[in-house]
Amino acid sequence: MALIYDESQRQIAEECDRILKNAFSAPALKQLLEQSGAYDTGFWDICVSQGWPAIAVPEAAGGLGLGLSEQGIVAQACGKVVCGAPFLNTGYAVSEAIGRFGDAAAREKWLPALAAGEVKGIVALAEGRAPLPKAPAVRFEDGRLTGTKTAVPGGGAGDLAIVLAATCDGPALVLADLSGAETRRHLLPTFDNSRLAADMAFAGTPAQLLAADGIQAARTILCLLAVATAHEQVGGAEAVFASARAYALERYAFGQPLAAFQSIKHRLAENYTLIELARSNAQYAAHNVDDPHFARYAAAARIAATEAYDTASRDAMQVFGGLGGTWEADLHLHQRRARTLAVEIGNNLFWEDELVEELRRAC
Amino acid sequence: MRAETAIQQYRETARRWLEAHAATHGAPARRGLTPEQDLALGRAWMALKYDAGYSGINWPREHGGQGLGALEKLAFEEEEMKFGFPTDYFAVSLGMPVPIILRYLTGDWVLERARAALRGEEIWCQLFSEPSGGSDLAGLRLRATQDQATGDWRLDGQKLWTSYAQYCDYGILVARHDPTLLKHQGLTYFWVDMRAPGTTVRPIKLADGSDHVNEVFFDNVLVPDSQRLGPVGGGFKVALETLVIERHHASDPAGFGPALNLFVREAAAADVDGVPLLEDGRVRERIARNYALQNGLRAIQARNQLMLGLGMEPGPEGAVNKLVSARARQRLSEFVLDLRGAAGVTWEPSGRLDDWVRSWISAPTGRQAGGSDEMLLNTIAERILGLPQDHRPDKGVPFNQIPK
Repeated sequence: MALIYDESQRQIAEECDRILKNAFSAPALKQLLEQSGAYDTGFWDICVSQGWPAIAVPEAAGGLGLGLSEQGIVAQACGKVVCGAPFLNTGYAVSEAIGRFGDAAAREKWLPALAAGEVKGIVALAEGRAPLPKAPAVRFEDGRLTGTKTAVPGGGAGDLAIVLAATCDGPALVLADLSGAETRRHLLPTFDNSRLAADMAFAGTPAQLLAADGIQAARTILCLLAVATAHEQVGGAEAVFASARAYALERYAFGQPLAAFQSIKHRLAENYTLIELARSNAQYAAHNVDDPHFARYAAAARIAATEAYDTASRDAMQVFGGLGGTWEADLHLHQRRARTLAVEIGNNLFWEDELVEELRRAC
Repeated sequence: MRAETAIQQYRETARRWLEAHAATHGAPARRGLTPEQDLALGRAWMALKYDAGYSGINWPREHGGQGLGALEKLAFEEEEMKFGFPTDYFAVSLGMPVPIILRYLTGDWVLERARAALRGEEIWCQLFSEPSGGSDLAGLRLRATQDQATGDWRLDGQKLWTSYAQYCDYGILVARHDPTLLKHQGLTYFWVDMRAPGTTVRPIKLADGSDHVNEVFFDNVLVPDSQRLGPVGGGFKVALETLVIERHHASDPAGFGPALNLFVREAAAADVDGVPLLEDGRVRERIARNYALQNGLRAIQARNQLMLGLGMEPGPEGAVNKLVSARARQRLSEFVLDLRGAAGVTWEPSGRLDDWVRSWISAPTGRQAGGSDEMLLNTIAERILGLPQDHRPDKGVPFNQIPK
């Protein structure tokens, strides 16, 4: 964990960038936009063969025993290429939930499989518009789940989920095995189809308790996921910003490059500023994962990253002129992904509230 | 890791020392003082620091400093600014003019100036900006004319925005010695005695009522050639050297305004017709956004200091601090007045640390001083992002032929 990346962390970053750059294919990603239920299996195969799902899993459980900083480094690289599958960060969240709250049997059963990429973990906490519903409609009783979670990211292909579910003692965090016929998935048409958002109807899905204080446990996991996602958002923002900068330097108007016009220079300088604030926030949060104030750092990272990615993708399209809004220019991949990542794990309204409550408690 | 702990210990010790003097020299002691009394307290504070070994922290020992590094200096400054000590008068003096004369001059005289400046007994100002040259520093016009017989110089013209000139003993100055040369080549650099005949300092009253900046007029002021720093025509280079000589300044993510937790505390204690302010989503959004921004700046600061400690070159992203913190402070301070309702117009001036009205009313100056937002954006665009320079009609043209 480091505020400045050490040699091995820099190597991970470079290696990820190198591998993913070769694998990146805008035509393939655009094809995925036009179909429902498909994700980029090639991308996921790379993740698995590189051992990325194992990053934060303890070595004893078949993982690499690294931490949130390394998870973030990989997520950032994935964000740059608008990765075609959601499972790396959601799987990390599930591994963390099992590692922190699961019993020995659960850890032995699931962590090696998650680390090896044999099992894809997903996160099903939200209901309706609430990222952390106080009274979930999904119920957990006698080791079984009933009820429906809507628009679950990765829901179309996840194998194992952490779920916030009601019990007679209040909401609990549970681990649900999705492999059986008890779970029905209804894929939703979305503007970013490779995220595999699906309504998941549980009709007796087998599950086990992870934490009885479900809201607190879910909040902890959501903060970890927020920081990993913030890195992915920063990666996306960096990539779309780089496209805008390159285009502004190469395209001429009125006899000079677009990048010589102050309106464009200042727009790009503002983007740079937002991205640096987001990058530093994300890195700082990952570095302070064990700090008592981690929750506020995570919220700050999430808020800054969402703002940076949205703004950078919006402004890049503006710099590109009419071309920016075309299917061909590929910028809409970022436009879509920026919004998808912004709403998947709690929008900024939610994270602002989380942050303010943290700060209120302190004063 | 060991180095980090040593800095932490240094910071702890400094904080304890600062705490012990906060009541007598910090914000509470300054309340209600006249400007003269406040300056006197400032001088006393500088002398106290000098005797305690907290002066010129990163200056060499032979210059009267402590011989420590930038990290110790930053640590001390970051702690010092939390207490509102009267240090503003001396920041420019010790940040640029005195270090630059120590670089260009040798001997007892300059060492005595350094000692007096560190103790707050003497203050130096920086006479760079002019009515026609602020952001465009090399556009300055104040004339320096050399007497061919004696080699000495006469200064004629005006400087502007000179901080604390009314209290200063000496200054550093850039002048135009030859308007027929290219803009950057016709400049020469001097140190000057602020009491030299023909020098007039006129304070400028700012919107917040303070008058710490000045116009300074030079009317046929004699400056011996021995007071020239660098070669004739080398003034722009020495000016740039001056601006970067102290590379590491403590920055404040709150833009040198009141801290965000004061805002949270004020909002948490107030309501509008029974509705708690802190339940208002607009208030919550402001708090969260400002926190995220300030935390990002803190993160950049922490990372850069760590890099400095490891002997690495800090990243360029530190350049965003002044830009974003000053304008965020302006908007947040405006918003505080909203939250107070009609009574938001009341103003009982206090210190920088807790006066939101002062923070708001002085914010426009904060967004100009040390680089306007627009110049900073240009700097980021050109220096960091490698984008082209703006169209520059003054390039390659003798100064006296540049369109005015």
